[in-house]
Amino acid sequence: MANDAVKNKSTDDPVLQWVTFRLDGETYGINVMQVQEVLRYTEIAPVPGAPSYVLGIINLRGNVVTVIDTRHRFNLPSGDITDNTRIVIIETDRHVIGILVDSVAEVVYLRQSEIEMAPNVGNEESAKFIQGVCHKNNELLILIELNKLLTSEEWNELEDV
Amino acid sequence: MSDLKNPFDSLLDYFDDLLPSEDLEPMANQKASVSKVKSPSVNLKDSAIKTAAKPSVKPLVAHRTSARKSKPIAKPIPEFAEPDAEKKAKLQKLLSSAQPQIVVAPIVNVEVVAPPKTTYVADPHEIQEWVIETATPIVETKPSIETPVVVAAEILGQHLQIPGLEWMPNGLPQWAQSRFDVLLFKVSGLTLAVPLISLGQIQPITDELTPLFGQADWFMGIQPTPQGKIRTVNTAKFVMPERYDESFIKNAKYVVSINGVPWGLAVDSVNQPIRLQPGDVKWRSDRSKRPWLAGTVKEHMCALLDIPMIGQILIDADKNAMKTRL
Repeated sequence: MANDAVKNKSTDDPVLQWVTFRLDGETYGINVMQVQEVLRYTEIAPVPGAPSYVLGIINLRGNVVTVIDTRHRFNLPSGDITDNTRIVIIETDRHVIGILVDSVAEVVYLRQSEIEMAPNVGNEESAKFIQGVCHKNNELLILIELNKLLTSEEWNELEDV
Repeated sequence: MSDLKNPFDSLLDYFDDLLPSEDLEPMANQKASVSKVKSPSVNLKDSAIKTAAKPSVKPLVAHRTSARKSKPIAKPIPEFAEPDAEKKAKLQKLLSSAQPQIVVAPIVNVEVVAPPKTTYVADPHEIQEWVIETATPIVETKPSIETPVVVAAEILGQHLQIPGLEWMPNGLPQWAQSRFDVLLFKVSGLTLAVPLISLGQIQPITDELTPLFGQADWFMGIQPTPQGKIRTVNTAKFVMPERYDESFIKNAKYVVSINGVPWGLAVDSVNQPIRLQPGDVKWRSDRSKRPWLAGTVKEHMCALLDIPMIGQILIDADKNAMKTRL
């Protein structure tokens, strides 16, 4: 019976793993299940006529991967490329893309119940990228919903890139 | 002498003769249906039906049976004897059918315990465990009933409203009907007063204040505190955007949270509370333009904020407010 109670608790309140990265001084989290790999910064080839949020493309073992300018997407000021800069290769519902981040920190374990809804008081579309917030290790994690990072039209645009 | 009837018995016989057998049938059916009500899921409505039915059956049966016992000799015409016997049998039948419901009546009070097993409960598994492990399920089920209420509000998208919003016909807000305490604080050189009754806590703004992208410009960020996360408003930008000075971000030292909502106002400094009489304030009559401004206090050269209204504005501005558990 005690085992059943523990089992019920774990199913009701699952533990999720999040890969955290830094961007403009804040810490963000993305679901580890959507992260394929983390690359050091490599030269990104710009694509003429690509949308403004697209930095360019990289060659990943023979595959072309589009890299998104995450700072631009989040309406944050642009930053410099450093030794800590990383390209996180993520897999969404339909595509594999790369997102450029200032640095990758760690993998954290969060219970579903620890995640709180973030406010949405702006008119910016980007607010919907935030899945929630969580206070962990004396800092506030902003959890990103990658599937909402681009609209369906924008995903189609990426295919053209 | 023995042939003389008791007037009461005569009256009963008269009514018995007037009452045709068809009239008894619906009554019997009604009682049968009432007796069927004896089911495990008794509610207050059922018990009301039973208690209402009880007195109407019992006196009728009691009087008639006692009357019958005293008059077997007083039947001059033999033809009427048989119908009386039939009625007696019917009444006896009614009496026997009425018995169970009289016995059931006290159980009603016991079964009032049943309401905790209502469909409002979110997780039936948890309830089953509570029933087994605790002897007093009523106490245990209280939180489980409260939780679905919040969920229901989310589903229905009900409009959240914080208390103290109303302004009375005398032109004063509900919280200022008699003397009230206010806290004075400074925001970019402007002194603001807020009613103490609407305030939650005062917390220092730390490095943990985390801005979120894609929000309104008056949203400073989320300040984690031991009491929870406070969504911090850039008060200077919220109150006087036309005179906003960027230095406020660096100068703001405290966040004053609003009671009942997860929001707070960033302030430069907090002064001592003062007591005001309603007459000390020049109340605003038209609040359509700046609904958060209740009035001004000339003596202290400050603006009095309508904090419940600010709380309501913030809740209304938050598109995720309906999904948030306060």
